[in-house]
Order: sequence, then C-alpha cells, then structure tokens
Amino acid sequence: MTFVNGQSFEVNLDPATATVFFKGALRLTGSEDYAPILTILRATLAREGNQVIVDLRELDFLNSSGITMFSRFVIEARDRGDTALTFVASDSVPWHARSLKNLQRLMPALQIRIG
Amino acid sequence: MKSETFGRIDDPAVPPGEYLDLAFSPLSAPLRSRWRNNGLSADFLGDYVTTFLPAGDGIASDQRHQNEIKHAVTYIANELLENAMKYHQADRHVAIAIRLELTSENITVTSTNGISGEQAGQYRLFIDRLSQGEAGDLLVKHLEAGAKRGAAASSGLGLLTMVCDYGAELGWRFEGLPGAPDSGTVTTRAVLSIRNILGVSQ
Repeated sequence: MTFVNGQSFEVNLDPATATVFFKGALRLTGSEDYAPILTILRATLAREGNQVIVDLRELDFLNSSGITMFSRFVIEARDRGDTALTFVASDSVPWHARSLKNLQRLMPALQIRIG
Repeated sequence: MKSETFGRIDDPAVPPGEYLDLAFSPLSAPLRSRWRNNGLSADFLGDYVTTFLPAGDGIASDQRHQNEIKHAVTYIANELLENAMKYHQADRHVAIAIRLELTSENITVTSTNGISGEQAGQYRLFIDRLSQGEAGDLLVKHLEAGAKRGAAASSGLGLLTMVCDYGAELGWRFEGLPGAPDSGTVTTRAVLSIRNILGVSQ
C-alpha cells in the first residue's frame, strides 16, 4: 500500500525515493485510525541504511493523536540506528515550528529542513 | 463527586469579557460519526477569533500573526473538544460546551463535559503529575510511552502540547452533580497570552 486518503487528507509514498508526502488536515480519532498511515511510514524502513524523507509542507493541521503516530515512527527509526530521517517543513504552517521540535527531542539526529 | 479547582481557573461568578459559546446536547451518536464535528467547530472558532482581534492593532493585525493566532485557537479547541467527546459521560444530561473568550491580553478556550468519578480521579492524577513536573519532560515521556504501549499511555498529550508548544496556562474545575454521587462535570480552561503566541517579548 502506497496511498491512503480520507475526507481531509492524502498520504502518498514514493518507494523509489523513500519519501512520504502528507497533504491536508489529519485529525483522526486515535491509533487504530492512524494505523494505515503508520504502515506506509514503516514501509520506508524496509531497507537498511536508508535515507527517509517525510514531506509535511502541505500538512496544515495535525492533532495530538497524529503527533503520537509520528513519534512512534521516529522512535522506530531511531531504534534501528541506521536510518537517516529528514522531515521537510514549511515556515508558513504554524504547527511545524511549534511541534516538530518534540520529535527531535526523541531522535536528536532527526533533520528538520524548511523547504 | 468532590468539587474542586486546580491551576488557572476563574471564579464562575465573574462575568467573562467578549465570548462565544458553542454547546452540543448530550449526544448518542457513535464517537466516530460525531468526530467530524470537532474539526468543524475548532476551525470555526479559529476563524472567528481573528474577527475579534482589533483591526489596525500593530502586532495582531499582521497576516502572519493572525495565522498564528488562528492556528493556536484551532489546535487547542480541537484538542479540548476531542477530549470532551472521548470522556463525556453520556447518561447525564450535561451538554458538552466550548467557549472562546477574548480580552485585550488573552484568548481563553474552555471546555465542559460530563465525567464519571473514576475518570475524574484519573484526570486529577494527571493534573498532579503536571503540577509537579516539567511539562516538556512529561511530554517526551508521554511520547515514548505512547510509542511502546499504544494510545492509552499517551492520554493527556493534547494538554501537554498546549502547555509546551503553545505556552497555554491550564486550569480545571470539577463539580459534583446533585443526586449523582459518582459523576459530575469537568471544566478545562486553556489561557493563551496573545503576546506569547506571537513571540513578542513583554
């Protein structure tokens, strides 16, 4: 599976570049509803020594259950020890500057690039 | 249920400044089908607050600043409504309510919902931990625990992000209901300093 969408969002995986693109507003009810998206994120960790990119520039809104989902993914990437993880953010989306730093506290090697 | 208050919460007898109330009658529809309502209501409050802001007021009228305020209100209203919907005790005839209130310095978002005595006890334990620890450390612990043990362990994350990421000051009021010893209502209040949201030093 490389694509999930709902009423207000789209998530796309480009397997060739191990990049996951997020678009819209994510406010699902909890970990059960976020599971298909976490599955897509985990697919990027399949190869060893991988460069993984999570492109959030078009993700305008994320609720706290979504923050939990990203933190699970970041912790899994951290614990593998061989994944170079980059989140691409936008300085015009307010939650990026406010909340992505928490993920960096979980994984200090996480790169946050303003794109 | 014992009536008590914690944190930054005003006397209910004191009339608020300008405010907007939304209330939802006790809801019987399944959580999932009424979830969309949270997003619609939160977006509405976020849009609405920008009309409250005085036009021509140097810092708040700037488009980028308006966007910051709108987002902060939307995020906080959404989290408070999600919690209220998740934990509301539906068998009591208490409405779920959310209030947006504006003064020249602060924006306040307040939710009220019915709660069982057991859930009120768990909520108080969380408030205790928050008052004794540093919110940023608690947030990281919550995220680590949520990753290992799933959603239940990360309950409270919404409130922690309000404090850590948006600089909100929180307050709570628990109130008993007449004739219902094991249930009551909880009011959760998040106060945002407009200057803090905009990153303007005092």
